[in-house]
Amino acid sequence: MIRRYSHIFGASLVAIVSLTLYSAPVVADDELDCIMCHKYRGLSRIDEDGEFRLFYINQELFNSGPHRRNQCKDCHNDIDRIPHKPAVKVDCAQQCHIVEPSGEKRFTHESIAETLARSAHGKLDAEGNPKPFQEDYPDCKDCHDQPFYRPVSVDKGTIHPGVSERAVTRCKSCHKNGDFAEDFYEHVTSRLRKTRFPMETIENCAKCHQDPEFRERHELDDVVTSYKQTFHGKLIALGSEKTADCLDCHVVAGENTHLIESQSEPASAVYKTNVPATCGTEGCHTQAGPYLAGFQTHVTYDREKYPMQFYMLIFFKGLIAVVLYFFLALIFFELLRRLFPNFTFIREKR
Amino acid sequence: MSRYEPIIYKDGKRYFYRFSVHQRVQHVILFSMVLLLAITGFPLRHAEEPWAKPLYDFMGGTDLAPLIHRAAGTVLLGLFVYHTIYWIVLFIRNDLGQLKAHGQLNFKTGIKAFFSQEMVPNMRDFHDIVDAWKYLLYFTNRPPRHERMSWREKFDYFAPYWGVPILGPAGVLLWWHDEVTHFIPGIVLNAAYIMHTDEALLAVLFLFFVHWYNVHYAPEKFPAATVWLTGYLTEDEMIHEHYSEYLRVMTEHGLEDEIRPQHFGGQEYEL
Repeated sequence: MIRRYSHIFGASLVAIVSLTLYSAPVVADDELDCIMCHKYRGLSRIDEDGEFRLFYINQELFNSGPHRRNQCKDCHNDIDRIPHKPAVKVDCAQQCHIVEPSGEKRFTHESIAETLARSAHGKLDAEGNPKPFQEDYPDCKDCHDQPFYRPVSVDKGTIHPGVSERAVTRCKSCHKNGDFAEDFYEHVTSRLRKTRFPMETIENCAKCHQDPEFRERHELDDVVTSYKQTFHGKLIALGSEKTADCLDCHVVAGENTHLIESQSEPASAVYKTNVPATCGTEGCHTQAGPYLAGFQTHVTYDREKYPMQFYMLIFFKGLIAVVLYFFLALIFFELLRRLFPNFTFIREKR
Repeated sequence: MSRYEPIIYKDGKRYFYRFSVHQRVQHVILFSMVLLLAITGFPLRHAEEPWAKPLYDFMGGTDLAPLIHRAAGTVLLGLFVYHTIYWIVLFIRNDLGQLKAHGQLNFKTGIKAFFSQEMVPNMRDFHDIVDAWKYLLYFTNRPPRHERMSWREKFDYFAPYWGVPILGPAGVLLWWHDEVTHFIPGIVLNAAYIMHTDEALLAVLFLFFVHWYNVHYAPEKFPAATVWLTGYLTEDEMIHEHYSEYLRVMTEHGLEDEIRPQHFGGQEYEL
């Protein structure tokens, strides 16, 4: 959505733009005034790999996400002047200049990067050797672009999306300065539900896991398609947020969403012996018996792997075909018979 | 015995009795529930299609539509059980009762009585199917002559008798998916899912194409047959679809002289 981490634009163009189109920046404490150039929708170029890069920053979108209190330089710390050289790719695990209030340390996403590294999505195997097809393993930004806050307000026992004025009134009676109350409220209440809509999560996993070449390289089933055929997938496609998306079943119990393990790892949430606990987790199938784990969620109708489903499907397809072809043929010939009601090959006498 | 006259006259036209109010009400409940089940079920079956979400939202969305689906399914299952009991009671009271009154009830006559029930398929239907195809493929100019229930109507009638026993229990399992896993293996739910979704497709395709052709789309029926409301068939419909019965009823009522020749597609059948 926002490709703001990147190369500089031509210095001459910047000069022209800054001279002719200068207006007051919206991000007030942006000491380098990056927005002076990056507010223009056409700010883009074709990079060395022939890829189209857009450097426009939609401030409205930027301001609805959790990074809005960061300055550009907090992440793009290699840039110290404008016009600037091509920017270095941002390392999300670096320390930014925001001081995290609970620990009074400068904030970093490093622990998340560490979690990801020891998950199935990490680039190194257990012995520390690089896994094959390195380029297939995700970085932060392969899954995350600028996230948005999805705050909720609770009034009189009803939960509704957004920050209601009523909800922050109590905060603002003490925290009067600036937007602190709103910011903090959004930060906290956005975490009362998932940051993304479940369908976004599924499409995000699908970027790799539905790609046929990727699946072939890693010998993986088409789990996205099979997921979409489950009641979970269907309810989510119809707008429900109450049922399980990929993360609800695949994240290791008690860990953050970045620790997803292969189903062959004993720690995995979907490892054979862990499935009952995963299905029966809080808010899900708490009434279920132990046999629910025997339910097959990612059915591909493959003859070897899912013989029962394969033959049932053939049976029902055959049944539907036989019944319908018989009756549709009957209707067809009946309509045809009406065209020539008196014609016959063999005329019967009474 | 019956409060329904086999033949009635209205505005100078002759009508032939077919369904009692009791049966007509059962049919209305049946098709209302099936339609409700279809429009709350198929958006889920085809959740990825663009029409699915608007239709599902119209039916109450992911919170309400499943409840409507389950309620309609419960009513339909109830009707199925009720109708089966109704049928068995009628059979025992009328057919077996008659035999018993005459002291002729034994295993053989009981079986024979069962197969002469008007809805039960028998050898005559097999001959009627062959006759129908002979006629449709122009090998004869004599349209099939059906008794009170033609083989197509019997198929329509027994479709729920194979559909509901597959769809119903599978639906109940999927409804109580958590509770039943204390007793039955999870893979049964996989099977129930396929049974429910594919049998539903067959049922809906059959109803919307074949049954609706029989009662809506066919040229002489369009836009809709009325027997499901009135309980009586017109003379034309009777001649067209139940010529054997027509002959029998007319003869029984001493109307031999007024019997009209068989016709098909609006034209009188040439002998």
